[in-house]
Amino acid sequence: MKKGDKNSGFKIPEDYLDTFNDNLLNKIASEDQSSIPKNEGFKIPERYFNSLHKNITSKLEEKPTKIITLKSYKKYYYSAISVAAVLLLFFTIQPKKSNNISDLASSEIDAYFEDTDLGLSTYEIAEVIPVDDLELDDVLETTINDEDIVNYLDDNIDYINELNIESDEY
Amino acid sequence: MIAEQTLIAELKQTETQAKAFEMLVNTYKERLYWHIRRIVLNHDDTDDVLQNTFIKVYKNIHNFKGESKLYSWMYRIATNESLTFLKSKSKKLGINNAELQETMANNLKADVYFEGDEIQLNLQKAIASLPEKQKLVFNMKYFEELKYEEISSILETSVGGLKASYHLAVKKIEAFLKNE
Repeated sequence: MKKGDKNSGFKIPEDYLDTFNDNLLNKIASEDQSSIPKNEGFKIPERYFNSLHKNITSKLEEKPTKIITLKSYKKYYYSAISVAAVLLLFFTIQPKKSNNISDLASSEIDAYFEDTDLGLSTYEIAEVIPVDDLELDDVLETTINDEDIVNYLDDNIDYINELNIESDEY
Repeated sequence: MIAEQTLIAELKQTETQAKAFEMLVNTYKERLYWHIRRIVLNHDDTDDVLQNTFIKVYKNIHNFKGESKLYSWMYRIATNESLTFLKSKSKKLGINNAELQETMANNLKADVYFEGDEIQLNLQKAIASLPEKQKLVFNMKYFEELKYEEISSILETSVGGLKASYHLAVKKIEAFLKNE
């Protein structure tokens, strides 16, 4: 075989190239259809569409009653809202009572001081509260009578002279 | 079929309303029926939703501004009604939307108004597995043969987005059917 001879012995059917385009398009079309079916298989009752308009009109005619019930609900909503508004006003507009210390239960005061960190040291408290105005009873829960005091001193103090504080020591 | 503008004008007038409404129902009932049926799948639910759609159209025709075409407005109402219906159905059953879709497709086998074979049943299962948007687009393009421009005005999304959704939907359905 001479170099450059292009005939390699292969042959193609007549008209192949002429009909190629059509064949290709047909194949594409058929493949496209086979992959996803066009028919879904849904059915509808016979004569369904014939009665549809009648069904809708009868539904439209019965609707107004429903609207009336909705309106009557509205009335209740309004009265409920007005009651709520009156209550709200009642609680907010009440005149403010001036709070007196005497109005508070002492247990509440105790609880307040127990729960709240005042941020004051004992020295600071002592500065604020005048000692002269305080009686022993103000800080003690049980009252102590004089006899008890004398008995205590008798038992615990050896030299009664220690208690003789000179007036000039102040 | 009379011109859309005339029909709308007649729907808005009390004297001509009844007749125009009948015309409207008869013109659009089949198209809207199939649109809804493909979303809710069973006939009885479709009937409910279709009737509600027409009632909504009837009551709201006065608010129809004519910014879009009448049919795309009605399709939009039908789509919204169908999706709302499915949402309340899934709420009632206490399951999420994907579970409801699966149940609905499985129920088709026992549905007297479904006579599809195995392939058609699988097709419905494949469609049921798609996200909501892709499902809508696929049904409207493939079965209802609406144009992208029409779908775009019904769903109020861009044509480009719709094309992408459709392409994805077809790929997923083909893959689903191949695996079955």
